[in-house]
Amino acid sequence: MRLGYDEKTEAFRDQFVAWLEANLPDPLLTAERPTSSAGVPEWARQFQRQMFDDGWLSPAYPSKLGGRSADLFEQMVYLEELGRRHVTRSFNPQGLGIVSASIVSFGNDEQIERWAVPIMRAEKTAALGMSEPGAGSDLAALATRAVLDGDHFVVNGQKVWTSGAHDADVLLVFVRTDPEAPKHKGISALIVETDTPGLDRRPFPDLGGPDHVDFNEVFFDDVLVPSTNLVGDLNDGWRICNGALAHERAMLWVMWSQSLDNMLDDALAELNGTSHADDDVVLDRLGRSIMDSHAIRLLGHRQLAKQQRGLVPAEQSILKLMGSEAQQDLAALILETLGAAALDQAVDSTLRFPYENDRGAVSWSDRYLFTFAGTISGGTSEIQRNIVAERVLGLPRG
Amino acid sequence: MDFELTDDQLELQRIARDVLDREAPASLARDIAEGSGSADELWATLTSLDWPALCLPEPVGGLGHGWVELAVLLEEMGRHVAPGPFAATVAQFVPAVRHAGTLDQQERFLAPVAAAGATGALAVDEGAGTWDLAQIRASATRDGDSFVLSGIKCFVVDGASAEEIAVVVRVDGGLRVVVVPGEAVAARELNPIDATTRHATIDLEGVRVGHDRLLVGSDSDDVVVRAVQEATVGVAASTLGACQRILDLNLDHARERQQFGVPIGSFQAVKHKLVDMYCLVERTRALVYFAALAFDSDDDRRAIATSMAKAGAGECQQRCVQDGLQLFGGIGYTWEHELQLFLRRAKVGELHFGSSSSHRRRIARCAMSAP
Ligand SMILES: Cc1cc2nc3c(=O)[nH]c(=O)nc-3n(C[C@H](O)[C@H](O)[C@H](O)COP(=O)(O)OP(=O)(O)OC[C@H]3O[C@@H](n4cnc5c(N)ncnc54)[C@H](O)[C@@H]3O)c2cc1C
Repeated sequence: MRLGYDEKTEAFRDQFVAWLEANLPDPLLTAERPTSSAGVPEWARQFQRQMFDDGWLSPAYPSKLGGRSADLFEQMVYLEELGRRHVTRSFNPQGLGIVSASIVSFGNDEQIERWAVPIMRAEKTAALGMSEPGAGSDLAALATRAVLDGDHFVVNGQKVWTSGAHDADVLLVFVRTDPEAPKHKGISALIVETDTPGLDRRPFPDLGGPDHVDFNEVFFDDVLVPSTNLVGDLNDGWRICNGALAHERAMLWVMWSQSLDNMLDDALAELNGTSHADDDVVLDRLGRSIMDSHAIRLLGHRQLAKQQRGLVPAEQSILKLMGSEAQQDLAALILETLGAAALDQAVDSTLRFPYENDRGAVSWSDRYLFTFAGTISGGTSEIQRNIVAERVLGLPRG
Repeated sequence: MDFELTDDQLELQRIARDVLDREAPASLARDIAEGSGSADELWATLTSLDWPALCLPEPVGGLGHGWVELAVLLEEMGRHVAPGPFAATVAQFVPAVRHAGTLDQQERFLAPVAAAGATGALAVDEGAGTWDLAQIRASATRDGDSFVLSGIKCFVVDGASAEEIAVVVRVDGGLRVVVVPGEAVAARELNPIDATTRHATIDLEGVRVGHDRLLVGSDSDDVVVRAVQEATVGVAASTLGACQRILDLNLDHARERQQFGVPIGSFQAVKHKLVDMYCLVERTRALVYFAALAFDSDDDRRAIATSMAKAGAGECQQRCVQDGLQLFGGIGYTWEHELQLFLRRAKVGELHFGSSSSHRRRIARCAMSAP
């Protein structure tokens, strides 16, 4: 056990800091903002491409995939430096974190060349088509059908909640290819280009407001998808599904940890110097959030240390649960503490963090509402608890 | 940072667990609670295995291990609800002497601990139950070759049995530690919640000790603050161990106990409670070992780390005791079942060295005042 990193890791950090300092775009050029989770502004595409080309986009990958074969501690200091500067690697998080990562893990060389690399270089953006109206938590119940007909699949059905689909070039879609098989065994994964005839995307606003459009319904009406777009083996899609969610899971906690820390910084700034800072009840509850932020970071580090030793850590399954709920608790605390004053919050529209999808300007009531994205998407908190109970604690299935 | 126990530390944990499985079965705690048992034999065994020396500095005959190793041992002691003077001696008395004493004084008071398992205690609070050093009034006044003490000390762990007691007093307004022989003070034992963790009130009024019993290694209050921090984290580590055992007992029970034709662990209302207990145990472990690391590295986050460990343990025991007892049903409500021994050990930790809530407020104040 040790608090700091070794010299090799620190040297890696220095190297990355030097690169960042030389390559971060001029903040004046970043005024154009993302339109959705797949609508990436040109300056951000260029920056992401530069990161890829210089081997700093996904440091764990080999250099031909935008990395430098970094070990886990090196990846960690890399993410620390990005977080410290509020720099987002990609404004198409599903594209980089899930779609291209799944293609790299499960696809063939041609698919990597054709889709994964362009997504990583931000030439294309991607969205993730998993959920359906009848298949949310019970994802394996998905019913969108794909029938192999010669060298094409014919796809019919509907996806929903597909973040950024209206701005995306490709979708990674999970479809049912064997309706006779048990539900986990008849699923496949297809890459579908969004300009394919018969594919209809209908964006709709989320809780953020009538202009906050990220969700889509995606309808498939006899959409022809080349059989070469099948990722992995036919009917082996469930493995990819789990892999896709597990992707970057090793490092996903850093996102939870950093966004909680950021919210905490804002919360402290909000309360400091006010009478709330002397209110024992507020301090008591705030203390708990501060503990959460430390504990999540520490548990993440313990997970890393175990992985570095070749162990399979249990921590990752609780970090999403703890991280998303801790944010919700903190936002609720601040909202409650401000009381009626929350109604009169000056909403400052200046960009605080030019390299981040900045939501700092929104009110605490919106911030509170946004925390539900964390406790609902990517497996709800209830589902996470079921998973931890069964897979980590070994309790019998209900 | 590398936040996992090293192979050597894991080995120490394994050995400690084996020793305590053998030497400190739950029946020992029960015998003590029923008035028929004693911790003496266990202490003799642990002493023969060098436990008291393990985390003492080498110059006084210790083996020089750090706080992480000590946390490993304390966690295991809690997990076994092990009785005896280990915690108060090694995590409370020793830090006080180590930080406040000169090298000679360390040698004088710690060498007997390392060599023969001499026992110690630490006396801080004076009745408020906050362990707030600002409230300390007890004093030591120079009189010729000796000091004369005044005041009382409350909730002193092992206060009625320790051979030496490190007492925090004021001397000319500053915080100091004076080492008082246990037999020199009048001690009144309190009602134990957990029969294996004994507290006493001790009366210092008029007690006279040699001047060389005033620790003079430093004239700063900081050394006293540091000693109390370490003692506080020691309590948190022991509480953590007890909570881990409550969780383990519950997991076994949830898999074995059948109702409605299925194990109760298949009911979601049961599962989710167990998951929340598990998350809190892991959260607490992270915070306790962070504090231990902060001591070992003299990190300046010691104060906040201490409060986070203590408040974390407090929140954890609250959930584990509450749901851990509830999920056992009627059998948990009996004297006979061993669960109650661990519930008591978990609960008692909340009551000394500051409540969760007081520590959470300190954490928030620390964070507010940081730039
Ligand atoms: C911000 C956001 C972005 C999203 N982006 C995408 C995306 O890009 N692509 C995509 O495919 N999907 C996306 N989703 C969808 C998301 O994955 C689903 O909303 C989620 O899996 C839950 O499914 P559901 O909405 O159908 O809720 P349901 O499954 O109907 O759940 C409703 C409630 O029932 C509870 N529940 C369900 N089953 C159980 C059970 N077994 N035990 C206990 N409780 C249970 C749930 O926890 C929840 O509280 C997004 C969702 C959000 C909020």
